[in-house]
Amino acid sequence: MSDTQTTSRRQLSAPPPPVTGPRSRRGTETTPRQWIARAFVAAVLIGFAAFFILPIIWLILSPTKTARELLLSAPFSIGSLDQLAANWNSLMAFQDGIFLTWLGNSTLYSFGALVITLIVSIPAGYALALVEFRGRRVLLLTTLIVMLVPNTALVLPIFLELSALRLLGTPLAVILPFSFFPFGVYLTYIYFSTAVSKDLLNAARIDGAGELRVFAQIAMPLATPVIALVGFFNFVGNWNNYFLPFLMVGGDKVPVQVGLANMLSVVPQFNPTTSGSVVIELPTLALATLLSVAPVLLIFLFSQRFLVEGMTAGGTKE
Amino acid sequence: MSEHSSSSFRRGTRLFSLTAAAAGLLLVSGCTGGTSAAVNDEYGFATAEQVEGDPITVWVDASREPAVTAFKAAHPDIPIEYETYDGNAGGSGSFQTKIALLDQSGEGWPDVVFSTQQNDATWAARENNGVQAFAAPLNEGYLDQDFLDGFAPGALDPVTVDGTVYGLRNDLAQVVTYYNQKLLTEFGYDVPETWEDYEALGVKLAAEHPGYILGSVGDSWMPYVYYWGAQAPIFQTDGDTFSSDTASDESVEISRILDTLIDNGTLVQDSYFSSTFAETYADKVVALPGPVWYTGAIFQTALQVPAGEIGVGAPLHWEGEEVATGNVGGGIWYASSHSENLDAVETFLEFVTSSDEFQVELSSGYPAYSSAAEGWLAKQADANYFLDGFDEEMISAGASVWDGWGYARFSPETGWATVIVPGLAAGTSIEEMLPAWQEAITNDATVNGYTVK
Amino acid sequence: MTDTRSIVTKAGVDRRGRRRPARLSGASAGGRQTRFGYVFVSGYTLLLLGFGFIPMLYAIYLAFTRNGQFAGLDNFVKVFADYRFLPAVAHVSIYILFWLVSLIVLVVVLALIVHGISARWLSGSIRFLYYIPGAIAGASSVMLWLFILDPTVSPVSWLLKLFGLDSFVQVLALDNLPIIFTVIAFWTGAGGWIVIMYGALNNVPRDVMEAARMDGAGPVNTAWHVQLPMLTKWISYMGIMSLAAGTQLFVEPRILSQASRGVVPENYSLNQLAYLYAFKQNDFSGSAAISLILLIVALGLSTIFILKGKLFERE
Repeated sequence: MSDTQTTSRRQLSAPPPPVTGPRSRRGTETTPRQWIARAFVAAVLIGFAAFFILPIIWLILSPTKTARELLLSAPFSIGSLDQLAANWNSLMAFQDGIFLTWLGNSTLYSFGALVITLIVSIPAGYALALVEFRGRRVLLLTTLIVMLVPNTALVLPIFLELSALRLLGTPLAVILPFSFFPFGVYLTYIYFSTAVSKDLLNAARIDGAGELRVFAQIAMPLATPVIALVGFFNFVGNWNNYFLPFLMVGGDKVPVQVGLANMLSVVPQFNPTTSGSVVIELPTLALATLLSVAPVLLIFLFSQRFLVEGMTAGGTKE
Repeated sequence: MSEHSSSSFRRGTRLFSLTAAAAGLLLVSGCTGGTSAAVNDEYGFATAEQVEGDPITVWVDASREPAVTAFKAAHPDIPIEYETYDGNAGGSGSFQTKIALLDQSGEGWPDVVFSTQQNDATWAARENNGVQAFAAPLNEGYLDQDFLDGFAPGALDPVTVDGTVYGLRNDLAQVVTYYNQKLLTEFGYDVPETWEDYEALGVKLAAEHPGYILGSVGDSWMPYVYYWGAQAPIFQTDGDTFSSDTASDESVEISRILDTLIDNGTLVQDSYFSSTFAETYADKVVALPGPVWYTGAIFQTALQVPAGEIGVGAPLHWEGEEVATGNVGGGIWYASSHSENLDAVETFLEFVTSSDEFQVELSSGYPAYSSAAEGWLAKQADANYFLDGFDEEMISAGASVWDGWGYARFSPETGWATVIVPGLAAGTSIEEMLPAWQEAITNDATVNGYTVK
Repeated sequence: MTDTRSIVTKAGVDRRGRRRPARLSGASAGGRQTRFGYVFVSGYTLLLLGFGFIPMLYAIYLAFTRNGQFAGLDNFVKVFADYRFLPAVAHVSIYILFWLVSLIVLVVVLALIVHGISARWLSGSIRFLYYIPGAIAGASSVMLWLFILDPTVSPVSWLLKLFGLDSFVQVLALDNLPIIFTVIAFWTGAGGWIVIMYGALNNVPRDVMEAARMDGAGPVNTAWHVQLPMLTKWISYMGIMSLAAGTQLFVEPRILSQASRGVVPENYSLNQLAYLYAFKQNDFSGSAAISLILLIVALGLSTIFILKGKLFERE
């Protein structure tokens, strides 16, 4: 990448490398004004961190308690590991370990849709941004309009379509609608139109490169951040989607979100009148929630680097 | 430029006609075109073509999964598949949602569905958008009348529309009066038998033993306990007509009693499941009216009252009037009118509602089928939690559910939760809120297609 | 030393130093581009037709018919006359106001601040922490909010009591709901947008930032005059998506309705009303009418973002 070129050049000519952020400009001392600014910034960041994280910490501590402890003891108290094990057993015993089946289903649906989404969305966004063809604006406009339609209105027609195609109850009934990701196409479109120069591509075209080569060899290498972004948001959106899979599949084909809703229905707190013999307590539900969230967080952790890389090369002047 | 525009115009029209054609296909597939098949005399309704040995699909919630397992063990020759769903819990409407979509597509219905709500017959027993009613009529030739007579009196009321029975009751939730004998003896009080007794007890408690309570009004099912039990005509249906009169004598009187007890502190506003209730009132409950499922959920789990203290008495009623009580729950099994193996469905339904293997051994609710109920009560007696005599009280209460309460496509719980509960929290009395509550109920009725009388 | 890369400007400069027109015209090149353009968008267009466009047409068809017969504006009249309609409109409008303003302002500010952190590990960790709530959705969070919003058991009960709210029911009073929903939606949604904005900020060329620094611009000035203008397209995109999410408010009220066992009404928002029409009252036409109204409103408001943010233009 041109990073090394930039830095080496800089090292030859000028003082410290440029950084976009609050830093002392000259000399080594920070003025009181800058200290206050820094303190303010730190306070804001920590404040928001607390806002986002405190409920999560509570959720993480919940599976270590019994239902009564959850209700009566201090919110941030820690229960016991034994209780955690008991809650785990309770979760696994629920309908003979169907929780793992749900997780498996979620994985299948989300990854299946991810593959298809990337294959169709990245080239589409690229073309919308950087290729001349008639109907470009119509496509953009249609995408935007469709994104604004409440999905309550789309549910029935999609259900009918899939029913007519005999796909209801099969994984494809979930994977195909999941692969329709206009948000991702728009993201890709914006990304390509702001971060890649058309002239770069035109130059290549002038040089005789075919469209496929232009796409594969010039645009794609620059597209890592947006591929990661689109892939990630698609995966997470599908992982967390309740309504569509709820309608399209049932029984043990449901993903973990629908499964959690089923579990919720046997928590006495939420459904006292069912006189159920199978009971799930709140700490067990908390454990299930955490486990269902963990894959998303793990993927985020690993892909953060790609998500925010931005464009340091390609399109920027030397 | 003009050639561009004309060819793009042509392309545009071509694209449009293509999508219009596709949309048209969609319409055609969506049209179910009203099944006006002939009524099958043997069953009493228009059946689908029967296929012997066709596997039946059952939708149950997690708690009823043992029923399917028990059935498989008892009838290994009948092919059965099942799917668990949320059981239509808490008014989630999953049952109705899925059937609505399946109706539109014209195929794919399950054969049996279990719902934890009691009011599904209000939509499942009628034709919807041109498609035959989902719930199959059971007493027009399909199931034996002898079998149907084995249910407790009134148990099948929620699913009976114009004399036709559309489902089978799984469990009852009749309201009885629970009392803490230990505290009553300690304070020297009698078990309350009437609403007037209940009020008097509350007044005495507040004066002599403040801090002890007679229940809570903070949960959404309170209308069933207090207003149904008081025979207040606030939720009455007659076909598609609905009426609610919160200004009637019974309604005003029970509201007044509730207000008195709320004001003097013997009725609290904290939900039975809240931390406050568990912390503060666990051992301070002297008596309270409630459905039979309070045993496990409230007394043993939330409050953890030790065995041998709680007794069960007759439901509270008006002095001088006959005993009538309310009902808070009870699931229903429905058979699909589109089923292709109605014989298997019949065997299944009879098994899950009346068999000992499920209802006595595995079910935690009070069975609606009388013979199973006796077995269930015997099992409870073995557990020795309640004082003696609870079984007779439960049986007689089960037969005394007031039949003047209606079942509608919406629930009275909504009005209670959105009007009364916040109003109480803000300090308004129930009597003051009665007109607003009635308005909320009747508004709900109107949007759900009822004519309000 | 030159290479084939050129500046991000309207008129490029090619290797030979001559000015080039911004678009490559010419019949053969245009034709080839057109063809491949279609190839590239073909997969997506299929999905768009199948799961977006045709269903939308069907919904429009439903909105103007009743049981297959043409019904003109009957469905709309019925919906407008529904006693729940206007309150739902009010609820959603207030919510959108709170939601859009807080989201756009706070996300941009936070993204700028986080972007300014030089330590990579810190910046990455903070982004991760801010994102975590976004992974918890729908059913999973019912139990969470049941506890968080109940002053008797909440980890933030001191905050709730500060506002004079002592019970769960008081917290969920109808007037408080827009704020609560905004908080919940922000809590789950902000992290993701911060990540996107952060990436967008990374696209601002280093030399431009350095030039601003050299000119003596402090962080605030740099943000206002340099970074924000380059984020216009992204911000307007965020605005549109948040507008769409706002008008389609459904999940948060449903969660709280479940958690509070009915105290929060199930017809709070317009989208919920559409759901009730379709699946509770078996009135798919009325539901489609409500959805159409929502769509038109969202479209109308979005045009502001599109025009001001020049979303359809390419440089």
